[in-house]
Amino acid sequence: MRANVWSGRNTVQVENVPDPKILNDRDAIVRITSTAICGSDLHLYDGYIPTMEKGDILGHEFMGEVVEVGRGVSNLQVGDRVVVPFPIACGNCWSCQHELYSLCENSNPNAGMAEKMFGHATAGIFGYSHLTGGYAGGQAEYARVPYADVGPLKIEDGLPDEQVLFLSDIFPTGYMGAEFCEIRGGESIAVFGAGPVGQFAIASAVMLGAEQVIAIDQFDYRLEMARNRAGATDTIDFDEDADIVEQLKVLTGGRGPDAVIDAVGMEAVDSHGVLQAAERVKQAARSETDRGGALRDAILACRPGGIVSIIGVYGGLMDKVPMGALMNKGLSIKTGQCHVQRYMKPLYEHIKQGHIDPSFVVTHRLELGLAPDGYETFKHKQDECVKVVLKP
Amino acid sequence: MSENSSRGWPRPIDATLHGVTDYTVGATLMTVLPNLVGISGTTAGTQIRVAGAIHAGYSTITDYPLGVVKAIPYKVHLALDALGAVALAATPFLTGQYRKGTSQWLPHVGLCLFELGSLLLTDPTGRGDYKADLAAVREGNMEDPHRKIHDGKLAVTPATA
Repeated sequence: MRANVWSGRNTVQVENVPDPKILNDRDAIVRITSTAICGSDLHLYDGYIPTMEKGDILGHEFMGEVVEVGRGVSNLQVGDRVVVPFPIACGNCWSCQHELYSLCENSNPNAGMAEKMFGHATAGIFGYSHLTGGYAGGQAEYARVPYADVGPLKIEDGLPDEQVLFLSDIFPTGYMGAEFCEIRGGESIAVFGAGPVGQFAIASAVMLGAEQVIAIDQFDYRLEMARNRAGATDTIDFDEDADIVEQLKVLTGGRGPDAVIDAVGMEAVDSHGVLQAAERVKQAARSETDRGGALRDAILACRPGGIVSIIGVYGGLMDKVPMGALMNKGLSIKTGQCHVQRYMKPLYEHIKQGHIDPSFVVTHRLELGLAPDGYETFKHKQDECVKVVLKP
Repeated sequence: MSENSSRGWPRPIDATLHGVTDYTVGATLMTVLPNLVGISGTTAGTQIRVAGAIHAGYSTITDYPLGVVKAIPYKVHLALDALGAVALAATPFLTGQYRKGTSQWLPHVGLCLFELGSLLLTDPTGRGDYKADLAAVREGNMEDPHRKIHDGKLAVTPATA
């Protein structure tokens, strides 16, 4: 089969690789009909996530048709159309029983590696380094789906792929970020980053009843999408005015947003030039893994007693976290890889009822063979790129 | 070929990495380089230190991520780099100090070549090297990005609606 594989920093290529096979009774093989490039795939592409190996198949957002099931999978049949959640979860461990699927205790075969880095292991993830299990990803013609009796969501109506594909990651992730903000109606929410996850965080905050949703980015076209499609009420372009904290205060009557969502993560572009440069150097020298520009501004801007929701991916260590502001302002931090399995069904219902059309983020739909060009276009924000879907 | 690679070679140095080079080279020229090449205390050594100071100086007022005051455009900065490099290489020959020995002109010429080489690898747009085939992406794209962003209607129903 053809698959998009990691070939070193800033290099991916579509190669012929062996077809996946059923290895365990609870496996299924899915013929992929749509797959996407995630913003977090760029962290792999840029070489900031350790334990990648040449030839690793990328991709953790995918859906398709079941073509084979193991003996232990009774809920799926050959021919079923499914969306596959990015965290691999057994469904039986303490974490899964508490719906903390991205913390599954059984699905990461390289748990020891993760324990050294994080203190505890986290769940396996498709196509996301050997730290998260070394599973082959979904930017391919076929994928093996472990614990297929737990994860995949059956799509039993005629909704097109682009409307349901993002149930695999970015829609639940954005929704979880908004849910963390404890929106009850009337709140002011600031969303750092108007990339795909940021767009869904904005849309979810709107769906949940926030009165003011402020999108922050440095690309006009992404802010335009945030306003036109996701429902942001205000936007901040920090390329034009670097003082995000001050602008957020102005927009919220001096108080600051009730909650802020960091949908940026470890490769933040800081609005403050000198600090950004220092962080670039430290990250290049591997003396810190995570650049903290967005998170610092988020903490400083959030109103006292507010919530900082972190859904952008961080991988390791960050310098100069403003702990003083965090503690003295009494902020709450909520974060985590999304427990996608918990959100898939309710969000699928929202889609079916027409509350949201997730396909709005798709700006590029390309054949799988163009995956390397898709990565570059997405990374460099060329051609008004927001989200790339690949068709195997 | 892509827009940034249209001159036929990769240009991987974006504005931030260029800035890191500016300050590193500027500081090295002002401090240790004259000693390392044995020209400290000579006219040639002073010329190198002054060149380093000027280089670091206009870096601080360049409109790029490492600029403190964004006063001059990035492309003007790159032009100053090129002019400065050529001027530095020419100085020993204009003053006649090249007759005093290799050490009085070789560092100037070496630094000029380093600077020009660095400029050849620098993306003048500041974005870094975009390696994709943009024409192929546009031809193969089954969506219309502009329409999706600018012409579409709201994709979500607000809770209060």
